[in-house]
Amino acid sequence: MTATPIIDARAVSRVFRMPAGPVTAVGAVSLQIQPGDHVAVRGPSGCGKSTLLHMLGCVETPTSGTLRFDGRDVSGLSDTARSLLRLRHVGFVFQRFFLLPMLTAGENVELPMSEAGLPKDQRTRRTRELLDYVGLAARADHRPSELSGGEMQRVAIARALANGPKLLLADEPTGELDEATGAQIAALLDRVNAAGTALVIVTHDPALADRARRVLTMRDGRVESERLR
Amino acid sequence: MNALGFAWRSLVRQPARATLGVLGVAAVGALLLDMLMLSQGLIVSMQDLLDRGGWDVRVSAGELPRASGRMQNAGAAADEIARLPAVRSVLLVRFADARLERDGRRPLPVSFEGVAFYGDAGGTQPVNWLVLRGRDATGPGEVVVNEAIAETLGIEAGSQITLRASCVAEREALPPTRLRVTGVAEFPFEATSENTVGGSIEALARACGGNAGDDADLILVGAQDDPDVTVAAIGAILPGVYAATNADVVGRLQETGFTYFRQISTVLTTVTVSFAALLIAVLLTVSVNQRLGEVAALRALGFTRARVVKDVLSESALIVGAGGLLSLPLGLLLASGLDRILKDMPGIPASLHFFVFETQALVLHVALLAATALLAAAYPMRVVSRLPIAATLRNEVIG
Repeated sequence: MTATPIIDARAVSRVFRMPAGPVTAVGAVSLQIQPGDHVAVRGPSGCGKSTLLHMLGCVETPTSGTLRFDGRDVSGLSDTARSLLRLRHVGFVFQRFFLLPMLTAGENVELPMSEAGLPKDQRTRRTRELLDYVGLAARADHRPSELSGGEMQRVAIARALANGPKLLLADEPTGELDEATGAQIAALLDRVNAAGTALVIVTHDPALADRARRVLTMRDGRVESERLR
Repeated sequence: MNALGFAWRSLVRQPARATLGVLGVAAVGALLLDMLMLSQGLIVSMQDLLDRGGWDVRVSAGELPRASGRMQNAGAAADEIARLPAVRSVLLVRFADARLERDGRRPLPVSFEGVAFYGDAGGTQPVNWLVLRGRDATGPGEVVVNEAIAETLGIEAGSQITLRASCVAEREALPPTRLRVTGVAEFPFEATSENTVGGSIEALARACGGNAGDDADLILVGAQDDPDVTVAAIGAILPGVYAATNADVVGRLQETGFTYFRQISTVLTTVTVSFAALLIAVLLTVSVNQRLGEVAALRALGFTRARVVKDVLSESALIVGAGGLLSLPLGLLLASGLDRILKDMPGIPASLHFFVFETQALVLHVALLAATALLAAAYPMRVVSRLPIAATLRNEVIG
């Protein structure tokens, strides 16, 4: 008996209506993400990688096809229901970190837990654990402006893990970092995956993609190939 | 972190923007408070002035005492009014222009207010002025003077003054009359720069060379119970005169002259509220536009649409709330200055106020500012609520 996939996408498409005519960003992609999976999505700019990632994270609604998250069809969910699903089950890591500059590293990590209604003492404990996990326990009270790029991305990863997501989605997580720092982030993401969180990374970085067990290559909105490692 | 805490951090993050917003709202809120105080100020102040005198009904020849001629045979009329069961006491009031002689200097123009009580309760009813120092004038050779005269002439209770009053026509050649000052009094309806002398009707007649006649500008009546009943009773026995309760007087002023202030106030209130709303809307919109990436990221992380909308609304509420609090002392200070300027207009009673602070004005001020906060946040709230998360994240990366 196989486990329920976290993501079960069947022929999902995303078409954007543009003044010059409709543009198909993602066309009829079928994909399953299993618990603990480690998937990298590669491809040239504009091939639909980020759009696919956003659909998998329930940020973008497919124009056609069905998308199941943990066995549940999400296409008919309301905006609020999808927000809550993301809050509790999906973590996002962005290329530009998007930490809130007016909050400390600890407060940034604590934010999703606070939004999820976790009691203060549990939030404090978990924040400490997560910052310790990403190696930034000593920087909890520092604001993002006082952190390096790599440190900011580590805080962003801790924030993404705050509510213990089943799926972590990372869009070019090393895109703004130098090679050495990028390698540290890649190692951290490996640890996250090894701890059981399914990981989907969109990247141009071959070194980062090569760490994944499955590497999808996209072109013109379609999955051109899938390589298993 | 709740929406309010989040909004507070957002404001602290950009102190210059927050300060600008708060100061803008404080200035506009002060103007708004003043407009609200002005819209009802004169009415409230006039009502207070009329009620403070202790008289419930005013009887005169026409709607405007002094401007609509005098009542003839006023003594007999006052006597008849005093005998009505609905009447507690009656004060006949007669005004005359007078000149106060000064050694070696031009005479000082003054207004002489002569009064006479009718009915039994005369002694217990307040006169039409308030004695500040000394005692009230009772005898035919006694008067009280207002503070302006006391200061100008350097006189006090016990001093003598020389008056020439004109009771019949403006250009009379009357002999000067020596009168004894018994006290300094405040005349509630006198203008700031006016010089007023008060005394009995006999004192007035004496100052007029015994030629005062039996006319009166005003008969003030204290009602036994309901002033409207008293007005009706006076109307029944004296159909030719105009009798009005204090509420009638205020009502008439509200319908006529004072409506201008309300109209001006309404227009200026609308302008100030619109200005405040635009100011905050611009500040919030700029701020939100600078943070679209962050907002999109928060949405991606699971913040609901309602939550990010609440964040913007809280930010607006904090700016307007802080500015609104500051606007209260600022508005009161401004009102006091403006009141002083307006009261310098000729003929305005010194005790009348254009700006009166009332709970109702404060409640309306708070309600209008709350509506402003909501209105100002409407557009930026719409921006964040309709923010396309994926497209914004994409654009931020490309940007």
